[in-house]
Amino acid sequence: MTLVPITYKGGIYQHDIVTDLIEDLGGYIIQKHVIAADVVLQCFVPRDDIELIRQIAKPLFGEVTDTPLVGTEIAIVSMSLEIHHLPHPSCDIAEYVRRIGAKSNMVSLARGPGKRIAGLNDEERDVINEHDIAVYLMGNFETCIEYKMPTLRRGIEVPIVLCGGPDKETLKKIIDPPVDGYVGNVGRFMRRTKEADEIDKLDEIVAEIIRVLEKKREEIQKDPLSVSPARLMGLIKEKVPAIHGVTSPTPLTVQMAGLRVKLPYDTFALELRDLEIEDGIKLGDVSDIVPSRMRDYILVKILPFSETNTVI
Amino acid sequence: MPAIEYFEVECPEPLGAEYYRQITNDVLLDHNLLRVIHKLHVYIDPKVPLFVAVGILKKITTRVCVGDFANVNPLEGKITLVISDETYLAPMLRIFWQKFGKDHVDQPDRFTVILYDVKADLKEIEEIIVADPSESLYKDLIYAFRCIAPEGFRLRSEIFNKEKFSFVASENTLAENVDEIIREKFALMGEVP
Repeated sequence: MTLVPITYKGGIYQHDIVTDLIEDLGGYIIQKHVIAADVVLQCFVPRDDIELIRQIAKPLFGEVTDTPLVGTEIAIVSMSLEIHHLPHPSCDIAEYVRRIGAKSNMVSLARGPGKRIAGLNDEERDVINEHDIAVYLMGNFETCIEYKMPTLRRGIEVPIVLCGGPDKETLKKIIDPPVDGYVGNVGRFMRRTKEADEIDKLDEIVAEIIRVLEKKREEIQKDPLSVSPARLMGLIKEKVPAIHGVTSPTPLTVQMAGLRVKLPYDTFALELRDLEIEDGIKLGDVSDIVPSRMRDYILVKILPFSETNTVI
Repeated sequence: MPAIEYFEVECPEPLGAEYYRQITNDVLLDHNLLRVIHKLHVYIDPKVPLFVAVGILKKITTRVCVGDFANVNPLEGKITLVISDETYLAPMLRIFWQKFGKDHVDQPDRFTVILYDVKADLKEIEEIIVADPSESLYKDLIYAFRCIAPEGFRLRSEIFNKEKFSFVASENTLAENVDEIIREKFALMGEVP
């Protein structure tokens, strides 16, 4: 059964019919937003059953759309939190990828700006590495990008999509060794992205992110995970009641090969390790439970089949 | 940018120059500073790295009088002012209190001010100067150029006077020949610093 990410948008009236249907079909609801009288569900559902969900949602005026970034956590790496980079373009891009279902975090570097003075510290490096992909938003000059990129990518293990002022070909030429994705002509700008050509650029960034993540998904499928992160999310919700007391918008953030649990590590790590998934297999057997560099959260890194010999 | 007679952005990277032209335009427009700049030349060399902006300012008389934002109606011993823009309301009230005393000034709602038993005619009240935005002009210009310049360029040298200005920024110590570069850029506009 292949699960695919979709978003359901509809009225709040009788939306539990859709929620129950998704759960009965073996799907998982990753995020649920209730906005006034509307409800938005980001979920994973079996590919063959999407049409069925559409049919059942039709009388409720519900809409089902493909959102390939559901279940991914993206780091939008901004060179600083100054007016030079915020709110445009950093926030515009971070907000746009959220519309396609991603959970995006803005990572702003303490010493990102400039050419010679640019740097990346260990905390920033570790926080970026906790994501599925890093989108680097660089400036307008190829000289600067060429000079500072080796410093800013040092120690980064996740795929990088590089956005910068020069065109795509120039970016490809100046970055050595190459990164996973490039989007040209998106450097620093001081206006809101609302014109058609600017929205097209945002679409181009999303398309590049999707392309790079698809490649990562294929890699994961070659050596499948011992347990699906979405399933683990449901399990933690069911068996760790403290998660319901977390006020964060996403107490459990699903990643492609893991989960961020927004509970304190010292208090809950042991409880999570001992959490039984099925037939006596504990979460600690199929995953590494490590402290996150983001606050005192817990990061669950699910191990692949080749390491555990188990697929649940 | 029609309000500026001369506007050039010079950079060894043509695409970078184009982007910085757009950034300069957006920032000056956002800060409402296009009306005060007559000529502007921006030079950026990311290799050095160096950012230079030189320009000529317009002679501006932007004093704001009561008549500019309020409708003054004298009626039966009192003068009613209907305010269309609240921006200068606070400084205007402060001046009225000083001039006429608090007993003679009343503000029944946000957009109305009434003056009682005031020995001043309509024209006199309309011509009271409330604010002079040009006082904060240099501060606004420096802030705008800090926004325009690449962010890491934190070592700055700026000279602003009534007619001309120059703004130099870099992330390295400024070179000794900066004055010469400023002179060159002024010459490109047909001016002297």
